[in-house]
Amino acid sequence: MEYDNNGQGDDSAFAFEGDWREFAKIAFPNLLLTVVTLGIYRFWATARERRYLWSRTRFVDEHLEWAGTGMELFLGFVMVMILFGVPYFGMTFIAQALIARGYEALGVALGFIALTSIFYLGGVARFRALRYRLSRTRWRGIRGGSDSNGFLFGLSYMWKTIVGTLPLGLLIPWSMTSLWNERWSKMSFGPFEFESDAEPGEVFARFLLFYLAPFVFFVGGVVMAGMGTLAGYGIGGEDGMAIGGIAAIIGLVLFFYLGLGLIAVAFYAKFYRVVVGSTRWRDLHFSFEASTRDWVKLLVVDAVLVVFTFGIGLIFLSYRHWKFFMTHLEAGGEILLDELTQSETRTAKHGEGLLDAFDMGAF
Amino acid sequence: MAKASSTPSTWARSEPMEDAFQTEAQWYDGTNALRHEGKLTWDGHGGFRLAGPTSEQAFATEDLRYAETRRGKLVYRRESIPDFRLILPDDLPAGLAAQLPRKSEYGAWVDKLGLGRAAAIFGAASAAAVALFLTAPAWLGPRIPESWERNIGHAMIGDFGGRLCETPAGTAALDKLVAKVDPGKVKVRAGVANMGMINAVALPGGQVLLFDGLVQQAESPEELAGVLGHEVGHVRERHVMTALLRQFGLSILLAGTDSRVTNSVFGLASMGYSREAEREADDYARARMAESDISPLGAAGFFDRLAKETGEDEDTPALVGWIASHPSSAERAKAYRSSARKGKTYPPVLTEEEFAALKSMCEDDPDVEEFDLF
Repeated sequence: MEYDNNGQGDDSAFAFEGDWREFAKIAFPNLLLTVVTLGIYRFWATARERRYLWSRTRFVDEHLEWAGTGMELFLGFVMVMILFGVPYFGMTFIAQALIARGYEALGVALGFIALTSIFYLGGVARFRALRYRLSRTRWRGIRGGSDSNGFLFGLSYMWKTIVGTLPLGLLIPWSMTSLWNERWSKMSFGPFEFESDAEPGEVFARFLLFYLAPFVFFVGGVVMAGMGTLAGYGIGGEDGMAIGGIAAIIGLVLFFYLGLGLIAVAFYAKFYRVVVGSTRWRDLHFSFEASTRDWVKLLVVDAVLVVFTFGIGLIFLSYRHWKFFMTHLEAGGEILLDELTQSETRTAKHGEGLLDAFDMGAF
Repeated sequence: MAKASSTPSTWARSEPMEDAFQTEAQWYDGTNALRHEGKLTWDGHGGFRLAGPTSEQAFATEDLRYAETRRGKLVYRRESIPDFRLILPDDLPAGLAAQLPRKSEYGAWVDKLGLGRAAAIFGAASAAAVALFLTAPAWLGPRIPESWERNIGHAMIGDFGGRLCETPAGTAALDKLVAKVDPGKVKVRAGVANMGMINAVALPGGQVLLFDGLVQQAESPEELAGVLGHEVGHVRERHVMTALLRQFGLSILLAGTDSRVTNSVFGLASMGYSREAEREADDYARARMAESDISPLGAAGFFDRLAKETGEDEDTPALVGWIASHPSSAERAKAYRSSARKGKTYPPVLTEEEFAALKSMCEDDPDVEEFDLF
């Protein structure tokens, strides 16, 4: 089977065929059950949502299937609480007790260890969340996974994040792309591994916007403030000038926050175009074509949806985000169905790995 | 895809019931991505047959499990081959549909009960759990053995690592005071903390701290007896354990947002009591003082001064901590004053020398450390 299409449209490799009214019939009962069970149902709710979203997503000529269950997410949560939550609680308790007894240095050191382990486990969790999602995704009966347990990735995550942030954050594009490459290169679907070789140089220019921004905003802001004040003076003399000045300052603050937010969105838009575009699987290459404008539209509509429904719109965000992701994801290349055999990653051999369910958001 | 089978079947057996028990099917065998197409037939005695040009297999009906519903399609898997997928049109002939496993929608329990009933039952159980959780500190606190509380308190704060003021004469005076307001066999451990705030706290584990600031402003040992009696009351009435449980419950609820659970030992001890508990502690203090012949007028004077200093709207910052969580000072002064028996002369609770030793305890302790950790 050969497939090569990088354009938008009906014959795109990935297509989302969901309908928000159908999704609402899943999301509202989920909300009800989650409320009456004090949140415990949310694991089953997540599984139901994903089953719907995956089943309405077509890749080439077959729909995806989500094979994960609510129970395994719940058990994963319980395991994580017992294996990591309780020791963390104990460590902070002992740290506090040591400080109260006058062993400040020891107490602080123990507290530091507790925080470091949270940092480390955050990296492991990012790896495992992706592994979990791939291993529960079926296409033509075939699933993905990883042979790595993510513990080494946790170490990489720690040192690369620290090194990336230390020189005034200048190496963050490097740490982000390098961690993306490392994470995806350890993943596989069927018998074939993913490969990723994203270059930090491609996102670096966008990243520099963060450094230029304060300068540009300051100059722009001063000009605007001056103009606002003058305009106020023109309209209403001295009083008008004061009002114009205040309005200018409010405008400046808004401009600053919105401006920084916009730069962050612009950076992430570019980042995802670059890293997804550098990711390959066998003879298949991927691309993600969402522009900054698409992202802004997504986020603004998200905010409007949530605010004007007094928060109820929150239950539709997972739908919107999945749809956004699938609409802009493209793939081209060739898949030989004969050689696409079942994944032999560990999950299959040892049953459901419970810790896989340490699921925080994979992408 | 959703059309019923009308073409001749690809296998030989042909019975009159066939159409009612067979349908078009697609399947993946779970070992590779090749799609097989053909027909699914129920064999009439507990088994299914799949047959097509590229694959053929038979398995027991109970091996089949429901997986999900797609638009116009139903998906099943096999228990013995978890990666196997069978895709059927959703307008199945009735005879065959009866043999297939039932759909599951919400999860086993909710499916069995129905959404409405499940929501009602879960809602009731959750309301009961919340009620239990909210009231647990009040009824569970007093039932926890005092020895457990002492262990918990010891684990949490220990001996403060030398931040308590200690001199032989001062400690003896404090012990004498404690003996008068605490009738328990195992006495509450009391100490003077090297801290300038005007405050006193009862801590987990039957430990009471007077802050040096409070000792310094006291005009008589009876005042200190009143405050000490009040804090001992919190310990003996098990208010501390109740507050500790409440704090613990809160920290579980907030575990997701803030995990620095044990940070506020003092916050819990000084702010965690209800007004009712404060009144109980006052009643306790007055009862013990009456038993031990201690004049309540000293304590009344202390509350008078507090009431005057804090006034209607000018707050003295050092006193705010004590005031905020307690009943109004004027009211308390009145309660203490009216508990004094008319015409009775009370002996002083401490001698001049003992009171002086208590006052100079922090100054005279050569190796006390600063209390600066919070």
